[in-house]
Amino acid sequence: MSDGIDVGSPEEIEEGTARIVEPEESGFDEPIAVFHTETGCFFALNDICTHEEASLAEGWIEGETVECPLHSSSFDLRSGKVLGLPATEDARTHRVEVEDGRIVLYPGRDAEQAVRPSGPSAG
Amino acid sequence: MPLRRILVVGGGVAGFSAVRELRERGYDGELTLLSPEGLPYDRPPLSKGYLLGTEDAQKIRLVPEAWYAEHGVGLVPERASALRPSEGAVELSGGRLVPADRVLLATGSTPRRLGVAGGDTALTLRTRADADALRTALAPGARVAVVGAGLIGSEVASAAVVLGAEATLIDPVVPPLVPAVGRALAERLQGMHAERGVRTSVSVPVEITDDGGRRLVRLADGSAVEADVVVAGIGVVPETSLAEKSGLAADDGILVDAAGTTSNPAVFAAGDATRLRRPDGTLARRSEHWEAAVRSGQAAAAGLLGEAPPTFGAPWFWSDRHGVHVEAVGTLDERQAPDGRTVVRFVDGVPQAAFLLAADGRLLGCAVVDLPLMVRAARRIIDRGLVPDPAALSDPSADPRKLAR
Repeated sequence: MSDGIDVGSPEEIEEGTARIVEPEESGFDEPIAVFHTETGCFFALNDICTHEEASLAEGWIEGETVECPLHSSSFDLRSGKVLGLPATEDARTHRVEVEDGRIVLYPGRDAEQAVRPSGPSAG
Repeated sequence: MPLRRILVVGGGVAGFSAVRELRERGYDGELTLLSPEGLPYDRPPLSKGYLLGTEDAQKIRLVPEAWYAEHGVGLVPERASALRPSEGAVELSGGRLVPADRVLLATGSTPRRLGVAGGDTALTLRTRADADALRTALAPGARVAVVGAGLIGSEVASAAVVLGAEATLIDPVVPPLVPAVGRALAERLQGMHAERGVRTSVSVPVEITDDGGRRLVRLADGSAVEADVVVAGIGVVPETSLAEKSGLAADDGILVDAAGTTSNPAVFAAGDATRLRRPDGTLARRSEHWEAAVRSGQAAAAGLLGEAPPTFGAPWFWSDRHGVHVEAVGTLDERQAPDGRTVVRFVDGVPQAAFLLAADGRLLGCAVVDLPLMVRAARRIIDRGLVPDPAALSDPSADPRKLAR
């Protein structure tokens, strides 16, 4: 398991958007999307949809879900659970924390709970 | 009597969606899925990645085989030959009777045949076996005549040139798809055929002749297209024979209500085989898109359990050809918007999105080429009944994310 990596300040990822962390940066073997929801939370999933080659970071982020930009399968950002066809496999989660005003991604570690910038750090 | 045995006839995405929804809704009785082609798979890739060879049979399965056992679904690779309501059973093609308290017909559709002399020699594309045969035929240098420039025909022509074949698209309508994506995008898509080396011929076939291996598609305008292989993509015919043989009401589709109920209260139907009869008795147009099949399977699952079907928003479809991703939600058909208007978003002079607005300013539909967030914004604008600012819709710098909020 890798240690956490600093992926920026909360303001650097606009609410309702996501930032892609490439393998060179994360040390994880696939790109990871770090999402900032309009509910003020941060989540991370493998960026590529489990169905076909599409970037979930470029999808529609609403509530705590992301809808794939290609074929509209939705995923629960908290758990990675797939919510509709055509994808049928869940997306892999990664843990994200907000520590000392920085977003810290733990590539390869499963998410435990949502993290709010103003709230206490998760587990 | 409690519902203990449900049989679903047809392993396409409608039948599969119904099965999955039944379990999600907590139905824990017997559940059998008749899928003559075996493990259910997704059909859209058959004219896209599967035809191109970038996705294989395993990749296009709807779910892995283990899913069926895990969810207590009996997968039977057979056809139904008769419904036997008086015996509470369905007869399979092998003669076996399977008892069922309720039956869901998701029998799908079959490609419309080309109704001209020699038309039976044209390949069609509906099943994985069809796609396998077509892929073999789309060899480098092969001359392919594709009759019908709709979604499937255009996807096949696009795949053909990628695979090194020569393709000619034959269709009397130029450009096709205006009601589906609006005129601006339809013209852009039509123009892409020539850019990518697909020839287009504006006519209709009158005869296909095969003279010692020299196959000619003779057209109504007097011209002819020489081809090694002819493909027909001219629509589908709903598979209603089992339903009609069993006395169910059908009219270019098994007639159903929003919960998939047919004229027999023990039999439900979903997917391409069906046609919606509205509460006022009028008949809707059949939908032949993937998402509509998913939704109708889910609705019929609710119906089978005596529950209210979910309400769904504006319908959506996609198509991939010539390296672009086309999507539309709602309708772009101006005939459905008296006194409405179409707004187009251009990027560097190229139309990228089209919007149909009703006379009162509400959004009725949106089509895009490679602008996925816009169609997702549009779906929400339509479903929420919002009145968007037409200037923002057409402004290429306006972020789609902001439009639906």
